[in-house]
Amino acid sequence: MSTASIIVAIASFALGALLALLMIPILVWLERRGAGLIQDRLGPNRTNIGGFRLGGVVQSFADVVKLLLKEEYYPKHITKGKWLMMLAPVITFVAALLAFMVIPFADNIVIAGESLRVQPLPVEYGILWFLAIGSVGVIGVFFGGWLSHNKYALLGSSRAGSMMISYELPLGLSILSLVLTYNTIDFNAMVTWQSQTFFNFLPAWGMIIQPLAGIILIISLFAETNRAPFSVAEGESEIVAGFFTEYTAMKFAMYFMGEYVAMNTASAVIITMLFGGYQLPWVTTATLLENFNHFAWAVVIILPIIIIFFIRWMRKNNRVRSTVSTDGGRSFETKVLTIALVLMTLCVEAILIYLIYMPSILGTSIAVTLFQIATFVVKLMLFNLFFILVRWTLPRFRYDQVQNLGWRYLLPLSLFNIFVTSLIVVGVNL
Amino acid sequence: MRNKIKVIPRQGNTLREKLYLPAIYQGMKITFKHLIDNVSDSNSVDTLEYPEEQPQDITSRYRGLHRLTHREDDSIACVACFMCATACPSKCIFIEATEREDGADEKMPALFAIDTLECVFCGFCVEACPCDAIRMDTGIFSLTGNAREDFVLGKEQLLAHRGAFKEEISRARK
Repeated sequence: MSTASIIVAIASFALGALLALLMIPILVWLERRGAGLIQDRLGPNRTNIGGFRLGGVVQSFADVVKLLLKEEYYPKHITKGKWLMMLAPVITFVAALLAFMVIPFADNIVIAGESLRVQPLPVEYGILWFLAIGSVGVIGVFFGGWLSHNKYALLGSSRAGSMMISYELPLGLSILSLVLTYNTIDFNAMVTWQSQTFFNFLPAWGMIIQPLAGIILIISLFAETNRAPFSVAEGESEIVAGFFTEYTAMKFAMYFMGEYVAMNTASAVIITMLFGGYQLPWVTTATLLENFNHFAWAVVIILPIIIIFFIRWMRKNNRVRSTVSTDGGRSFETKVLTIALVLMTLCVEAILIYLIYMPSILGTSIAVTLFQIATFVVKLMLFNLFFILVRWTLPRFRYDQVQNLGWRYLLPLSLFNIFVTSLIVVGVNL
Repeated sequence: MRNKIKVIPRQGNTLREKLYLPAIYQGMKITFKHLIDNVSDSNSVDTLEYPEEQPQDITSRYRGLHRLTHREDDSIACVACFMCATACPSKCIFIEATEREDGADEKMPALFAIDTLECVFCGFCVEACPCDAIRMDTGIFSLTGNAREDFVLGKEQLLAHRGAFKEEISRARK
């Protein structure tokens, strides 16, 4: 193993862990602010550290502190083996986290003739890993529900289990038809396949080539993450809090955070399999590397425009109303953030211009990798926003309706889709 | 009878409605529009930044904290008739009567206390009062304190509350 490969492996592992773990407070904040703004309220926007509110993200960290300091409560029947009850949420959390670790964040980076994967776990069987580890999460839910010795918890966990069984089938079958199309089980090869064009003008994204499988995949992943409109494992009006009725403090927080990690994982899988992963449409990695100067100039021009719009938006919105007398340090925050953003932009510009005039193969390939990672993160955030938007738009399905949808509609549709796909694949290859 | 029957058309049987997806798209369009509108100008969101911004739309009929009204000479209007304490459904008004020395009336309360932790703000005391001596037109909607005793309002506190609207003095004692 060369030094470069070790550095790339460590960097991509750190990136994966950061993307999964740091995304939790951001997603919790995004969910609460998003829900507020959708419903014409403001959401949490007060918590600050020395006047820095960052739009309210600080609230998530305050919540973590609160959950850490809360009383650890165990039901009376648990006299020994408390670690078993602690283990259950950890299983769910770790399963969601590990499933995220096979997502490629950028195309293979070539350093000194060696092709290195930018993937936290550099495996070539990404989908199998995702399917295997992703389904382990429900074991934690079942464990917790059973150990709680509570009828609501047991009902919630059994609902989660039966949901898993009924939605794992359409999920697996729709993934199967995508695998038939791409002819690979490697996530990175799928993204490479999707950066082709279809009929010479459409990007060959999975959503465009396999719309039915795409819709089934998205619906099943919504069900897998246990989020609205498929949140049957918990429901205040029927079974209290479902499987985590007896869970408090950090044990509950593990389940809660696991849900957001699972949502993040689902978004990443949807992007990678259906929306071209880390690639921009019509742009392959080879194009990026060959025409690096053009892309660099485009970024040099577009980045300041985006930053200027962002700063203008911040100056307009990071103010109190005229009827409120105290400013609460918002103008100071705006000033500091503006300076920080401008400095960051100037740094990026300087590096890019340096790379344009002093071209080196290593620098170019690292810049292209970073550009692809940035594209991936933007797409990931957009899809997480989509998840949040769906949750605050649609009413919940009733439990039997969820099962009906899974068994009577999605399963036959995905079988039909496999049939059609196989016919076409065989026909094309004849 | 027959011509009075109104047939309501059943919804949800067309293919478009059974597909769900067009309806989901329409719903998402509405919520997305709200999200974008509010993100682009968050100060236009029609909420109150409460502790800094106080509500300006309290009407004269709003049942706020109680007050004891005054006569024209600024003395207490209450005659300690116990009507309000009798009408009170939560039994939170405590009155001790005493003789009135200035000759304006025969009785007045020596002690008049309202336990606002018990009070349900129904306004029956205001309706029961024959002298217009107790009112809830202060417009005060929040009362804070550090101990239970802070929430038992005595005669002096109730007299100190002023009406937020017109009619400062008791109408029965002009």
